[in-house]
Amino acid sequence: MMETISLTINNEVHTVLIETRQTLLSVLRDKLFLCGTKNGCNHGVCGACNVLVDGKAMRACLLLAITLQEREITTIEGLSENGELSLLQKAFASHQAFQCGFCTSGMLISATALLDHDSTPSISKIRHELGGNICRCTGYVQIIDAVKSVCEGKTDCT
Amino acid sequence: MHVKQDGSKYGVGISMPRRESYEKVSGSAVYTDDMVLPGMLYGAVLGSDYAHARIKSYDTKAAKALKGVKAVITAADFDMQRCGMLIKDEHPLARDKVRYIGEPVAAVAAIDMATANLAMQLIEIEYEELDAVFDAEEAMLENAPILHEERDSYDGIVASPGLHNVASYTRCQEGELDVWETCDVIVEGVYETPAQEHMYIEPCSTIADIDPMGKVTVWSSQQSVFIPRQLTAEALGIPMTKLRFITPQVGGAFGGKCGVTNQPVTVALALAANAPVKLTYTRSDDMIMNKSRHPSRIYMRTGADSSGKLIAREAKIYFNTGAYADEGPLIGSVATFFSRGPYKIKNMNVETWCVYTNRTKAGAFRGFGVPQATFAGESQIDELAEKLNMDPFDLRMKNMVATDDKWLGGQNIDHGTLPGCLKAVYEASNLRERPKQQKLDNNKWRGIGVSTSAHVSAVLSASAVVKLNEDGTITINTGAVDIGEGADTILSQMAAETLGLHPDDITYTCTDSDTSPYNYQTAGSRTTYVVGTSVTQASVQVRNQIYKHASEMLESAESDLEILPGSFVGVKGSPDARIPFSAVAGRALNQVGGPIVGMHSWLYHNTPFDKETAMIEGFALDGGGVFCFAAQVAVVDVDKDTGKVEVVEFWSAHDVGCAINPKSVEGQIFGGVVQGLGYALFEELVWIDGQISNPSMMDYKVPGMNDVPYDIHAIILETQEKTGPFGARGVGEIPLNGVAPAICNAIASATGARVRTIPATSERVLQEILKLE
Amino acid sequence: MNYVEPSSITELMNYVTTVEDYRCLAGGATLVAMMNVGLVEPELLISLHKLDELKGMRIDQNVIRIGAMTTHTAITDEDRLTGNASLVRSAAGQIAHSAVRNMGTIGGAISHADPSADFPAALTAANATIEVLGPSGRRVIQIDDFFVNYLETSLTEKEIVMAIMVPLSPADAIGHHLKFSRVDGDYATVSVSLALAMEGRICSYARIAVGSVAAVPLRLKEADDILIGSNLEESEIARASELLLKSSDPIDDVRGSSSYRKFLIPRLIRQAVLQSKKELSYT
Ligand SMILES: Cc1cc2nc3c(=O)[nH]c(=O)nc-3n(C[C@H](O)[C@H](O)[C@H](O)COP(=O)(O)OP(=O)(O)OC[C@H]3O[C@@H](n4cnc5c(N)ncnc54)[C@H](O)[C@@H]3O)c2cc1C
Ligand code: FES
Ligand code: FES
Repeated sequence: MMETISLTINNEVHTVLIETRQTLLSVLRDKLFLCGTKNGCNHGVCGACNVLVDGKAMRACLLLAITLQEREITTIEGLSENGELSLLQKAFASHQAFQCGFCTSGMLISATALLDHDSTPSISKIRHELGGNICRCTGYVQIIDAVKSVCEGKTDCT
Repeated sequence: MHVKQDGSKYGVGISMPRRESYEKVSGSAVYTDDMVLPGMLYGAVLGSDYAHARIKSYDTKAAKALKGVKAVITAADFDMQRCGMLIKDEHPLARDKVRYIGEPVAAVAAIDMATANLAMQLIEIEYEELDAVFDAEEAMLENAPILHEERDSYDGIVASPGLHNVASYTRCQEGELDVWETCDVIVEGVYETPAQEHMYIEPCSTIADIDPMGKVTVWSSQQSVFIPRQLTAEALGIPMTKLRFITPQVGGAFGGKCGVTNQPVTVALALAANAPVKLTYTRSDDMIMNKSRHPSRIYMRTGADSSGKLIAREAKIYFNTGAYADEGPLIGSVATFFSRGPYKIKNMNVETWCVYTNRTKAGAFRGFGVPQATFAGESQIDELAEKLNMDPFDLRMKNMVATDDKWLGGQNIDHGTLPGCLKAVYEASNLRERPKQQKLDNNKWRGIGVSTSAHVSAVLSASAVVKLNEDGTITINTGAVDIGEGADTILSQMAAETLGLHPDDITYTCTDSDTSPYNYQTAGSRTTYVVGTSVTQASVQVRNQIYKHASEMLESAESDLEILPGSFVGVKGSPDARIPFSAVAGRALNQVGGPIVGMHSWLYHNTPFDKETAMIEGFALDGGGVFCFAAQVAVVDVDKDTGKVEVVEFWSAHDVGCAINPKSVEGQIFGGVVQGLGYALFEELVWIDGQISNPSMMDYKVPGMNDVPYDIHAIILETQEKTGPFGARGVGEIPLNGVAPAICNAIASATGARVRTIPATSERVLQEILKLE
Repeated sequence: MNYVEPSSITELMNYVTTVEDYRCLAGGATLVAMMNVGLVEPELLISLHKLDELKGMRIDQNVIRIGAMTTHTAITDEDRLTGNASLVRSAAGQIAHSAVRNMGTIGGAISHADPSADFPAALTAANATIEVLGPSGRRVIQIDDFFVNYLETSLTEKEIVMAIMVPLSPADAIGHHLKFSRVDGDYATVSVSLALAMEGRICSYARIAVGSVAAVPLRLKEADDILIGSNLEESEIARASELLLKSSDPIDDVRGSSSYRKFLIPRLIRQAVLQSKKELSYT
């Protein structure tokens, strides 16, 4: 069944006609063309689709859009402001914390959620919190380094 | 290295951020599936339910009649030719027969995915089931069912006709056959390696758009624009003038997107529907329909004298290539070529069979046949060391190849960088002081393992065009697809270094078969070396033309000129005598000589085998390339109660000649090590009665952050490669090659248990431990 | 597919009783994944997220009542889960990864009744009771009676899980969920859940459940009885685990063969018991 709903995404209200069974991932990508959120498995396993819902990282492929009308959704597109990258995004760039970049949106969402409630996580905490984001390219080392550099307030994030 | 006026560093040797950083971290990078065209249809592919069956009839009427369905195609109503990377043995949609469960038999294009999926359920195909065979050696038996009745007539087949179900047979023999009696110790074993899934996070995706003249533009997640165009043209019987291939960002590939994936079917759907079509595989379709790494069974025997000098090796290597050969014959040849490992072994006799079976096909995957051979070979080095009562490290040092030694087949090793790599890991891991076996808490044991490996960098041809723009900036155009490894960045750095420019003053084009100069594929650890050479040489030509103009403009000899920061060329020692590149460009465009364009194209010539010393048969390659070497050390903890292995620290030393971008080199090493760790411990496609039983990320596990050590130490050595651009050689594949044996050698050192089948799952490790008790 | 979000129990029961083909949606971590691959497509989807009664945790007479819609993350973070109930917390923290824990709910997890999931075994060892609501009213199901078969519970049609009640006592017990999986965050190959208390050197309380080795969590009173009153010596642990091993009936799958799982059962039980014993001797 089709239904019109409104979703608050990156502080903007979108009114959109969806199918009741449509996932947030599909609405983001196919209806709103917010394509930074990726589909790697559509099954909750890879983490490429992670978004923030009320500040918590969740799998957009397992959320039905229709359930989210009163929630605040943040996607990768919402992490930068007016084109200005967040510190984490800059750190990912300077540490080469990505190769193909397909896991990067989800990884940044998880890292953002982590730093939002713990600004100085240990390496083991970083690994624990990002453990559900699969990256097939980097071997993770440079991702951990990038997150760590932000916690340590390193300014080499250009 | 250059320093720009603002003090920023750039050029070769600098870990400058990836050029596409902004797009990738902001979520704005465009991958194929992110694109939408007006009126675009959605494609889906129906796979076979049978492992081996004759297709008796199709009924697509109901599917075609479904509202919203715009095309339904099968081999019956869309004429397609057999194609393939080496052997022309595969139709994009099965014709007459299906040869594995999931093999594409029909495809649908509809106005949305839901309709396409519904239509697939309405397609009726009548099959006559045939006996199937899933094991490579069983498939070679006389009474095994034959997969390809017409095999001997296929284009590209080289295997001798007598061999049942064999796609290719390769042999290399050197020295004597009967030397086993002269060996004081001999080790012998059977080694098995799994079908590893590439598991790039972006599943295969293609969009085909058709213009009013019938020309099809194809965007796809692929490793080249040329090979898939060629194979699509072959399969569909259309000229290349009607096909234009473009590559948007690629979400990982690792060999899995070499050759073709779903491009031909997508193009066929677009032609049939006369509309743009997007076909993105679901994760499970991708795992079932696209290739994996060749599973192998290797019978190997190695002998040495009592001093530890290696004397002979014999191996029979069976590669299960699945239903179609893909790059199997080449991969089998490479495995043969690397079966000696980086050691001097005078007497060698190695045979490799690449065999058709009723499973999803196997093809290129980072390492390309070397990981399989290295697993067997490096395991045996440790097994020999144990028998000889020698330290495995010393045994390696004693037998390793060095500069001017010969590789298997007789090629000279111009840069024997293995000794340096071995010494580097020895020092860095403090190998001398580390206990070989250490008891930890509970029933955990710690062990350490070493491996060496080799690879070649460079194959086939590439070209580059470098243009000086009107404002003095540069455009580089190559056919090198950046699949995430960083080609766009390092090629820019090479041009920047050559022309004294900041990379911001260099732009690069996306690969487009209509406009990019030819390049084979992003594969074979070749981009830095082969395409890098072309970019550098084309940039040199541009620089020379700039000098020529400037010498006339500044009235100074060319030899007195130099490139200055900020896109200037000037007279050495006279700071005021300088002109901007833009002035040179303007002069060339409007007054003298014409546009400044550098162009370079070349074919890497393999050094041929030495037919005097080696008996070579059936090789799909005619010699070696530029040798790269690596040494690796793993420290693992094994829980003897459960068999669970944890890799706690890892060292990986590589001589890359010149690290154009050191952080990117480290990234290749970290990534390769972790992919190798997955291969060693977790990853394996499992077939039950011909069906993959774990075609999802839930069931097939690749390592996550908590399954791998953070303490991976990438050690970069730089012994200049004389023939490489800025002295560089490739590093894309080699970090994976030796990981599994290093880990299994460490497991053996921790527990005494030798695991000869990978992945060394907890279950397999426990089984081996129990055998000792 | 229709979708509703009832905000009262009456409204909920109204939908449940009038529609044949419905599904409740909790966190969606399992249900939506199944919908994505076309395994289920109910006529009506009833989201439970607006029902206050299914939310939050409260303690009443030494029993903590965990609303069915409580997420794994909320349980992981809940420090009132002490004593015997600490077991539930230990299990919650090991389910999948944080983004899935932020979605998945305890009610959804047990209703799905996947024997390789973590809560079924953990709640069995924790001696939980399940409060359910159906058209004919509320009832409470003892956890040992809740799981009936693979993906099958004793919920009758139209019944809904409202809450999970977990006793905090014995207050001096500690709970452990020892999960063995191929990689971090995977479903368990085998899991061992246990609550254990000691008086001096004597085991005063023990309740063990093994997950992923049968169609339902495996618990035997006889095995617990061997441990209770004992010194938790190796031989006693071995006897208890032998009983459990005999009753197990694990399957072969990609997470491990049946025989490997059987190897793991006594080994993991031993590890879990000894670890708990060690911890108890420190407190
Ligand atoms: C990637 C991934 C990894 C996972 N790993 C693990 C793991 O390691 N261990 C583990 O234990 N679990 C794991 N899970 C499962 C997950 O954690 C949830 O426990 C599970 O999905 C069920 O919770 P839910 O709230 O999402 O239920 P839903 O998916 O919403 O519902 C599941 C089923 O229960 C029914 N249902 C839900 N609530 C009720 C109710 N109150 N009354 C009656 N019926 C109800 C639904 O109709 C549906 O049939 C994993 C899931 C994913 C996606
Ligand atoms: S796409 Fe959602 S987790 Fe993989
Ligand atoms: S960068 Fe490619 S998957 Fe992470």
